[in-house]
Amino acid sequence: MRADVAHEAHVLVIGSGGAGVRAALEAVRYGDVLLVSKSVAGKGGCTPMAEGGYNAALREADSCVGHLEDTLKGGAYLNDLELVQVLVNEAPDRLQDLVRWGAVFDVTETCQVAQRSFGGQRFPRTCYAGDRTGHEMMMTLLEQLRASDVEVLQEVTVTDLLTREGAVVGAAVLDRTGRLEVIQADSTILATGGGSRVYDVSTNSATGTGDGYSLGYGAGAELIDMEMVQFHPTGAVYPYDARGRLVTEAVRGEGGILRNAKGERFMSRYDPERMELSTRDVVARAIAREIQEGRGTPRGGVYLDVTHLPAKQIEERLPVMLEQFLAFGVDIRKEPMEVSPTAHHFMGGLRITPSCQTTVRCLFACGEVAGGVHGANRLGGNSLAETQVFGKRAGEAAGRAPSRGQHPEQRQLDLIERRLEGLLSGMVNPVSVERKVQLAMWKGAGVFRTGPELTQTLTEVEKLGRKKLHAASKLNLAECMTVHHLCTTAMLVLKSALLRPESRGAHVRTDLTQAHDAANSPYGHTYLSQHRSGIEMKGGKP
Amino acid sequence: MGVRVFRLNPAREKEGKFRTYHVEVQEGARVLHVLHAIHAEDPTLSYRYCCGTGQCGSCAVRVDGEPKLACMTEARDGMTVEPLNLPVRKDLVVEMEPALAQIAPLLPKGQAECPAQEQIAAIKPLRDCIECLACVSVCPAMEVAEFAGPTAMRQGMRLALDPRDSGGRIPEAIRAGLFTCTTCQACWKVCPKDIQIPGKAIEKLRALANREGLTLPRHLEIVQLVKETGRTVPRTETSFLEQVDEVIEPAGPVKATVGFFVGCMYNLRLPKTALDAIEVLKRNGVRVIIPHEQVCCGSPLIRTGQLEYLPTLQGKNIECFTSRGIDTVMTMCAGCGSTLKNDYRTPFTVKDVNEILTEIGIEPPARLPLTVTYHDPCHLLRGQGIRDQPRALIRRVADLKEMAVVKCCGAGGGTRSGAPDVSRALALKRDEEIEKTGADCVISSCPFCEFHIGTFSETPVKNVTTLLLEGYRKKDEGKA
Ligand SMILES: Cc1cc2nc3c(=O)[nH]c(=O)nc-3n(C[C@H](O)[C@H](O)[C@H](O)COP(=O)(O)OP(=O)(O)OC[C@H]3O[C@@H](n4cnc5c(N)ncnc54)[C@H](O)[C@@H]3O)c2cc1C
Ligand code: SF4
Ligand code: SF4
Ligand code: FES
Repeated sequence: MRADVAHEAHVLVIGSGGAGVRAALEAVRYGDVLLVSKSVAGKGGCTPMAEGGYNAALREADSCVGHLEDTLKGGAYLNDLELVQVLVNEAPDRLQDLVRWGAVFDVTETCQVAQRSFGGQRFPRTCYAGDRTGHEMMMTLLEQLRASDVEVLQEVTVTDLLTREGAVVGAAVLDRTGRLEVIQADSTILATGGGSRVYDVSTNSATGTGDGYSLGYGAGAELIDMEMVQFHPTGAVYPYDARGRLVTEAVRGEGGILRNAKGERFMSRYDPERMELSTRDVVARAIAREIQEGRGTPRGGVYLDVTHLPAKQIEERLPVMLEQFLAFGVDIRKEPMEVSPTAHHFMGGLRITPSCQTTVRCLFACGEVAGGVHGANRLGGNSLAETQVFGKRAGEAAGRAPSRGQHPEQRQLDLIERRLEGLLSGMVNPVSVERKVQLAMWKGAGVFRTGPELTQTLTEVEKLGRKKLHAASKLNLAECMTVHHLCTTAMLVLKSALLRPESRGAHVRTDLTQAHDAANSPYGHTYLSQHRSGIEMKGGKP
Repeated sequence: MGVRVFRLNPAREKEGKFRTYHVEVQEGARVLHVLHAIHAEDPTLSYRYCCGTGQCGSCAVRVDGEPKLACMTEARDGMTVEPLNLPVRKDLVVEMEPALAQIAPLLPKGQAECPAQEQIAAIKPLRDCIECLACVSVCPAMEVAEFAGPTAMRQGMRLALDPRDSGGRIPEAIRAGLFTCTTCQACWKVCPKDIQIPGKAIEKLRALANREGLTLPRHLEIVQLVKETGRTVPRTETSFLEQVDEVIEPAGPVKATVGFFVGCMYNLRLPKTALDAIEVLKRNGVRVIIPHEQVCCGSPLIRTGQLEYLPTLQGKNIECFTSRGIDTVMTMCAGCGSTLKNDYRTPFTVKDVNEILTEIGIEPPARLPLTVTYHDPCHLLRGQGIRDQPRALIRRVADLKEMAVVKCCGAGGGTRSGAPDVSRALALKRDEEIEKTGADCVISSCPFCEFHIGTFSETPVKNVTTLLLEGYRKKDEGKA
């Protein structure tokens, strides 16, 4: 194998989800941009799957401060205040960008973008396009991408970030034929999305394997709050092979009711005030508890029911859900859905400044791969806003950064080549390693966690991570590298989880008792890099 | 379960082949899960997927010949999985980028005001597209013409409807081949999002073109003719209506009464075929009422986007049947039938002649020593969902040998007059398929198809009812 510099760009964007494309569209105002995507552009990632909506304070009666407070409260006050301020202040403008570019959001009679209620928010501030909001955004962004000067490399997998003297200078990629290529760039933006695929049950797209966390970690970046994995309360349980598939929160937003197998509306025991519209962590734990204590359905879920709503409302407001369930033989106008928690979103990720600068020079991060915006639990609708707000910021910062024209270090390239060659002569089927990691993570680092289980799972995952993966051909190299990244990401979750000796937001340690509530927690972010790890104490920044 | 999967590595081989795999999956598994199971054992299998929930459009493949999303289609023991009919990169992975590049972006005017609710409501159905390219993989016009294809047209209409867009979408659509589409509806029928591209995009774009004065001259002539004569076909011989009484009584007891909507083609181009059908109906106890003041159904106007005169035609046609108290109207032209069923609001039921004959149950004809093949008229198969009835009727008389592919013959959508090269090229392709069957004769059930295939094929073309009549004649000869 021989890796020459095949592409050069001022800005390299990795990922074609909402954050990546938004970043590219911004960066291209300052210089050449190359966008690489593991999938056909716009098809991978979770953005096109996002159903519910985009949060922005648009109305007189609402305010950015309200949005900020809801986000902090939902995030169990672990959020990075500055990042949240940026999010809530800029979400409306970034929404306007989308509208200008032709996004077809639902509108009110007065041609305002319509908004609906989402969990944990005092005001209906979630903008939507039916229940295919993310798809609508993605299509809008893709159209602008196609019209722009951004160069796009499709179905190309980044295996490593390349560094020189501690700064990122580009990336090593496998093209669709399995050939190794080097991309050199003045600045690199990671927009690789989340990593919930490290779990057996997950809502994420095939690309949600956490590559970006592992790539950043490998390049020396610091990650924060990696233990904060949001379990969405409502994932479909049938058919088994499609388990975890998201049942959008909009179902509850529209008035869906949760019942256990005994027919009890059990949310009254967990959050009598907000009931089904409580925050995701609360609802997910409630459902997990009901199932654990034997009040689940035979297929291992609880019922989510919209049959009391008018059929027309279901058809108009939840068309994707209706269609998906019909395809699986359930008419949600007439029968309840069956749901259980599913791994959904990584709140943690690379530590960034408000201009998306990571702790490594020339490396920026935006979207789900970055940490700090959502704290310990994300509000539904904040991520789509995050992709646009921080995508633009990352694109701008990277675009404005100076040209450097630095080559990657040959030593690192040699190592990469050798590792890839090693894969061709490896022994272990990557699919089996992936499955084992996913099962171990689901069991040992799921909705409820304990110290001993986390430790044991870490040992297990580290052992799996050392297996010599086998690539059946050059075309399978990318898959092996993805499994490698998945193992690293799983390990980062476990290590971070062990760093946080409290229950907070989505991270629940059932083996600890604690006196403090979230608002009074003495702890801040957990942090983890190749160089150091720990947990911040409130008040003292590291 | 056992599945046959298409394998091709163009780096190594020219021709693909099928491999059979046996894998275990759970109840309710989708095709995608079967592919995962195969891949776990044979990692060399290449296929695309991302979302697993029908939202990203990565995973379209042909399952038992039909384009489907692998992630949403239930797997079946014994199924065959093939790539879409597009250039194959490897196994089930096809080239998508060239087709995706045809999808035009919105060119913002700059203002960030939302369209109104009605505008949004009109755009939305065209916006569900997940760019899976199932439609592109089946479009006959794309095979023979410079045509950007169905989803590009969908996008063209979506943009034309959006007040924020500054592009000149109509001239653009015309350059991209708007008038080469035969309105065969194949794209709609395979679309996983059920986007009615011919009706909601192509015909609508043609209607906008009409408003901008960009309708093809040949299509303008049709409107002129229909305004003058009530017909879109000029009279060159004695018409069907001139040869029949208003009420035709059956030979035996009356089993059913229908109003007959004749249509321009059977009335003026193929009156003999319509007379054959009348003979068959008479013989099978159907009383046929034929209002002589009926006019063109308006289909050629709808397909070519010239809607102004349509309500006049619709009004006359509905009136001529309701005034006679008729509650079932029979069509024999697939295009008229599809139009009356889908583009009219009729107080009566509309049925195709194949449906009528199937429902009443026909007197058995004699068998003819013929092997025939059947060409599905687009507006019968997809426009009316009629597939099996004509086949069953044919089998009563002759041996039926199917063609390998079901495809448009190129007669429809105004292409015969507006884009004759495209229309001809499609007919010749169709003829190749007909030839391959070695059939003595090709049967159809639509005057456009019969006339068009008849122009370009050496093989004789006949209507289903004509074939039945020949069966009866032979039976009668036998008795005599
Ligand atoms: C089912 C579902 C529903 C959701 N609904 C909502 C909602 O209603 N509202 C909301 O706010 N949020 C929602 N979310 C969360 C939200 O969709 C995501 O957090 C957000 O879209 C992430 O965007 P992103 O651009 O960061 O990454 P993604 O959209 O995930 O894109 C990641 C991109 O990176 C590429 N990539 C990954 N690894 C590599 C690699 N190694 N090399 C090259 N490319 C790579 C992928 O191909 C992909 O293009 C939902 C998530 C899911 C899964
Ligand atoms: S109707 Fe037929 S010819 Fe027209 S775009 Fe669709 S598939 Fe192509
Ligand atoms: S129109 Fe339908 S079939 Fe065609 S690409 Fe879009 S979703 Fe697929
Ligand atoms: S995998 Fe996304 S549509 Fe099938």
